[in-house]
Amino acid sequence: MGDGAVIALRDVTKVYRQGSVDIHALRGLSMEVQPGEFTAVCGPSGSGKTTMLNLIGALDAATSGSIVLEGRELGSLNKKELSELRRDRIGFVFQAYNLMPVLTAYENAEMVLWVQGVDAASRRERVMGLLEQVGLKGMEDRRPSELSGGQQQRVAIARAIASNPAVVLADEPTANVDSETAETLLGLMEELNREQGVTFLFSTHDPQVMERARRVVRLVDGNIASDERR
Amino acid sequence: MKILRMAWRNLWRNGRRTLVTVGAMTLALWAMVLYTSLMQGMLGSMESTLLDVELGEIQIHADGYLERPSIWERIEEPDALLEALDETGLRSSARLLGGALVASGDASTGALLKGLRPERDARVSDVYERLDRGEWLDPADPEGVVLGYRLARTLGIDVGDELIALSQATDGSMANDLFRVRGVLQSLSEETDRATVFLVEDQFRSFFALEDGAHQVIVRSGEGQTLDAAGEMAQEAAASSAPGAEVKSWRDLLPGLANVFDSAQAAVQVVAFVVYVVIAIMILNAMLMAVFERIREFGVLKAIGVSPRRVLALILTEGALQAALAIAIGLVASVPALWFVTTRGIDVGQLGGTAIMGVSMDRIWTGAVSPATIAGPVFILLFIVGLAVLFPAFKAARISPIEAIHHQ
Repeated sequence: MGDGAVIALRDVTKVYRQGSVDIHALRGLSMEVQPGEFTAVCGPSGSGKTTMLNLIGALDAATSGSIVLEGRELGSLNKKELSELRRDRIGFVFQAYNLMPVLTAYENAEMVLWVQGVDAASRRERVMGLLEQVGLKGMEDRRPSELSGGQQQRVAIARAIASNPAVVLADEPTANVDSETAETLLGLMEELNREQGVTFLFSTHDPQVMERARRVVRLVDGNIASDERR
Repeated sequence: MKILRMAWRNLWRNGRRTLVTVGAMTLALWAMVLYTSLMQGMLGSMESTLLDVELGEIQIHADGYLERPSIWERIEEPDALLEALDETGLRSSARLLGGALVASGDASTGALLKGLRPERDARVSDVYERLDRGEWLDPADPEGVVLGYRLARTLGIDVGDELIALSQATDGSMANDLFRVRGVLQSLSEETDRATVFLVEDQFRSFFALEDGAHQVIVRSGEGQTLDAAGEMAQEAAASSAPGAEVKSWRDLLPGLANVFDSAQAAVQVVAFVVYVVIAIMILNAMLMAVFERIREFGVLKAIGVSPRRVLALILTEGALQAALAIAIGLVASVPALWFVTTRGIDVGQLGGTAIMGVSMDRIWTGAVSPATIAGPVFILLFIVGLAVLFPAFKAARISPIEAIHHQ
């Protein structure tokens, strides 16, 4: 692992068993992500993009190989430690936004900070600033059902970066929005990356995302076919 | 606080389902509070009939009387015993008991004559208040007797009618006398209703040519005094003033009935439990549906680092809120129902006198209210709701985030 890499994968494999058939989602994949990178992982369906993000996000365990996040080998952590790692060091942005429908934009964005035990005043200061930053000032009290898809994804981004994570993992973040909204969301994430040094790792099919990414990793059949830095 | 807010809002995502669940819990609680009150009322009334009217807490008889009741088996000096009991603070009264054939017109039947001193007996028994018609005994009217309502019916007599009694006196002579019915009792117990005639002590002694002694001393315990404590005091009094006399508590005299009273309380809880189990299945179904509908949400919560404990707390809180709503509404709704059953009661007179193990219920079945009337049904409801919610709660808490997020 190179000095200072946020994420390092070494010979990672992931095999799913479906009935009597083994499906090799990742086949000895190795890569590193440096702090502040704005990386898109692309590839055809079934190439292993989402599996890779799930493994890095400590949502799933590799069949073999090692995944190290900020120097911590994920395979050596127990469930509680993995949960705390996700809470404190990883931000998630999902394709379907996945906000809590009963919570307002503000409450959704502050969720991780609440789970961390941050006091209410600090949460308020941080979340109000974030909502302003993602362009949702004045919409704090709206529930997800009262927000457009793009606005919901902005709330999801605010939630993901609220705890200053080491990396934000975004699984097809623009897949459910129109191209104009996608452009705005990408601009927002680029701005957060540039101005605050937030590390982003996307899985995507979207050419818009690949164009804007400063590093594009292409997966084919569970391994890296190309890794292009711009 | 956030969990409480989330739980509350989650409940109203499917308001109809929540209302139906809370409604079922409310109805069950309301019904159980009412049922508990009526059962407590019935048991209280039966115990009151049994102890306040019939038995007293403790009875003292001459040695061997209970095994083979006989007019000759008697406590020799009942007044000394009553005096000793008075000194202990226990209320007591002596009764004389003797069998006789009672008749009116062509009808006749066997009966137990009970002789007592009305003034003294009123200290231990409320039987004088349980007249259906007519008046209680009066020493100024020695020929006046009071009898059970079924005995009156058997003999075809009523207040003012004559009653003939025949028996053998203690001196060996034929005892026979003509009495007049002063009063007819309400339904009290099988024995009293069917075959008991009350008369004043002097008339009893005259009828049976019995100069002294008494067959039975009824003793009442003091306020808040345990049966055992009263029994010990009575035993001490009897030991000094009526050596050899048998001191028995009502539980010793009627162990079967004592068991009925003991098990009736447990039966109330069992019925409550069964009713609530039905409700629990409904809650379990509703909560499982609520959890399955939100599997993705639980996956997201787990993914962003919400601990299983917090997810568990969320579901349990949803169950607790529904139970709290049901308890609040159920208890408010119980107030008028409890008021009705405790003040007006239910007329069970047309049932023709209901009795359990020979002890009659009052004609008006009234409820009773105590902390247990409310606490029992509420605690059982909370316990059942807790059980019903645990499974879906653990399911949500143990959910794998990766599977849940991709759940369709």
